[in-house]
Amino acid sequence: MTKKDPYILDRPTGRRLRARDALVCVGVAVVLLLLIEGPSIRNTGREMSSGVERTVVRAVGEPAGWAGDRLPLSDAADSMTGWLSPDDKLTGPGGFQNAAVAAPQPGDGAPAPITPDYFDPSAIGGKTRQLPKLTKLLVTGDSMSQPLDAELARRLADTGGVQTVRDAHLGTAISTTDLVDWGKLSVRHAAKTPDAVVMFIGANDAFPMSKPDGKTVNCCGPDWAAVYAARVRRMMDTYRRDGATRVYWLSLPYPRGSARQTIVRTVNAAIAVAAQPFRSQVRVLDMASVFTPGQRFRTAMTVNGKATIVRHPDGIHLNAAGARVAAELVTARLRADFKSIGG
Amino acid sequence: MVFPTVEFAIFFPIVLALSWALMSRQHVWKPFMLAASYVFYSAANPLFCLLLAGVTLGNQAASKLIHGSEDEHFRRRIVIAAVALNLITLGVFKYYGFFATEVNGVLDSVGLGLPVPLAAIALPIGISFIVFQAISYTVDVKRRVIEPASTIDAALYLSFFSHLVAGPIVRAREFLPQLATPRDPRNVALGAGVFLITVGLIKKVAIADSLAREVVDPVFAVPQAYAAPDLALAAYGYAVQVFCDFSGYTDIAIGTALLLGFVFPQNFRAPFGATSFRDLWQRWHITLSRFLRDFLYIPLGGNRGGKLKTARNVMITMTLGGLWHGAAWGPILWGAIHGTALVSEQFFREREWRPPKWLRWFIVFHVFVLALVFFRAATLDIAITFLGRLLEPGPATLWTFPIVAVVVGMIAYQCVPQRPLDALRVRIEQLHPVALGASMATVILLVAATVSSQGVPPFIYFQF
Repeated sequence: MTKKDPYILDRPTGRRLRARDALVCVGVAVVLLLLIEGPSIRNTGREMSSGVERTVVRAVGEPAGWAGDRLPLSDAADSMTGWLSPDDKLTGPGGFQNAAVAAPQPGDGAPAPITPDYFDPSAIGGKTRQLPKLTKLLVTGDSMSQPLDAELARRLADTGGVQTVRDAHLGTAISTTDLVDWGKLSVRHAAKTPDAVVMFIGANDAFPMSKPDGKTVNCCGPDWAAVYAARVRRMMDTYRRDGATRVYWLSLPYPRGSARQTIVRTVNAAIAVAAQPFRSQVRVLDMASVFTPGQRFRTAMTVNGKATIVRHPDGIHLNAAGARVAAELVTARLRADFKSIGG
Repeated sequence: MVFPTVEFAIFFPIVLALSWALMSRQHVWKPFMLAASYVFYSAANPLFCLLLAGVTLGNQAASKLIHGSEDEHFRRRIVIAAVALNLITLGVFKYYGFFATEVNGVLDSVGLGLPVPLAAIALPIGISFIVFQAISYTVDVKRRVIEPASTIDAALYLSFFSHLVAGPIVRAREFLPQLATPRDPRNVALGAGVFLITVGLIKKVAIADSLAREVVDPVFAVPQAYAAPDLALAAYGYAVQVFCDFSGYTDIAIGTALLLGFVFPQNFRAPFGATSFRDLWQRWHITLSRFLRDFLYIPLGGNRGGKLKTARNVMITMTLGGLWHGAAWGPILWGAIHGTALVSEQFFREREWRPPKWLRWFIVFHVFVLALVFFRAATLDIAITFLGRLLEPGPATLWTFPIVAVVVGMIAYQCVPQRPLDALRVRIEQLHPVALGASMATVILLVAATVSSQGVPPFIYFQF
């Protein structure tokens, strides 16, 4: 008996049907999913960055959403599958989705008062007001916050006595509420009373947002920057908990592509504006200057006297070595702001 | 574009419908499917399509040249050049940063400075799988196993979207014959395809991602913050995670191909049930194992030339297999551990030392799990810290009933000979197409409900 050629594939055993049956099967699945998930597909499409994919998803999502709104299937499915969700549903105040967060409007009356919180004492020759002890640190953001979060957690674990909570939400952005509403999430984070919050986010931003008057603005003009800064400011205010928490908001290093550089330039400018009223408690750590001086992308930089690759090959994120550099800067600020770390 | 996304959920039904509509007209179907595959690939980055086209045309030209000549020296020179170009392509995109850093480190330590420019080059998704399939095509033509395909068939073979970005590594001799005639529209393994797609989604989204989120990622990030019970759970959990992640992708790839009328080779066969290391590599990432065997181990000499040379060939093959998984010392060490295990196993087999089956399983499984620590840890230091703390007593802070049940269940399931899922699959295959579609939609909804607000992480094997 000759041995069978192992590279001749056996078709799987079992029942055979017609191609038409395959189309019926997939068609039924698609129709059901469109009717049940139509509203969320529509929202996904609306909040995607412009491009062919957005056009296609919207072409499917808008009619599906319209049909879904008229049927009770979506809510029924949510209530039936909610028990499977690993997350507590983000409810409560502070969300960005329904209320267009007001950007400062000229002519709204008297200018907002300037308070002492506008000033970082160390920047005007004073002494930094230290908090007593760092025992709980939250490191959060989008994919930018990885692997920085792990690097910080390792460093502080070596110190002992610091609980580092890592909560990265990949693919999310402040300018969209599609996956996560950062307004609501920041409220939830703050309720857990961290002593310090490290925020590194913005890799996915540039989504269209609504102005207070309901008009949609696209990235990256002053209107978009104003709405973005208002959202960031609200988050900073939530996280700082009237001064009980120190917030370390990392600006974005410039990425490789020119289109993304425009976005990062706007996001960084908005972060700087947003932090102005809270300078005594919110530190904007300038990763842009550290990793991309002169706003010019570079793959490698000198670290401890050696040329070292610090950026991920995607040209956006920091790699492990870059995260070590960023972690060093964050921990230096933590030491300056807290009388003791862990212990 | 990746499988569990809205974009793919729109893309696939359209392609499926048009594919069957055009199937009888092959001169239209082939360009259509080629275009669809390039659209699929361009979602990651349209520029990567140029690389895919370049690899395709380069290997097709080499294959034609080889086939057109009877001069063995010429044929050999062409195949060497083609393989070298493929490997250079892979090396530049995948390994340049790693080797530049390591070479600079060595040269700098002896005072020769840092002469190699540092660069972090974007890794085209699926580049390893594309290059490996291209090599297999050209070499098989050289070996006269197959004849060169038409250019469009070769392009379709290398770009077919179901296997494009993460395998399985389908050989030309398996795929090209399926392009020779239109797929039979009266012979679609619909139930098997739908079953594989849904099982793949459950494995990837509901199991692998949950394990990563709840146990594996936190522990591997900061192993010094955890004690033995959590570290052990993370080690076993990662073994289950990587299996579910990769075999889940493979299941979806094979399932979508079945709905289109194509058959792909199996890539996993209950690997946790292996009772020898040789057995393990015939069950785990089967298409990579056979590629390494056919295109590296055997050309190195295989088991011809004595015990020492066989051991050397095994070590080279497995270490390079480790390097294939990642440009870092962890994966290289992981490959070397498996090479050492295979050599040791052969040594004991020749001395007829044969422990009981349960003990063999225990050894193989635990070497596999512990070697994966080097594979997963971001650095060797973290891996060593992880292993060093495996005997550190302390509380089990991450043990929950669902997590432990999933880990134990996934391991135990593969060790029992009769698998209840096989019976379930037979029952599902009997369903009416409408019921099959409704079942698939229900599973997708349930699986989607398990996605956390942290999102669906990419498939682990995308980075390879």
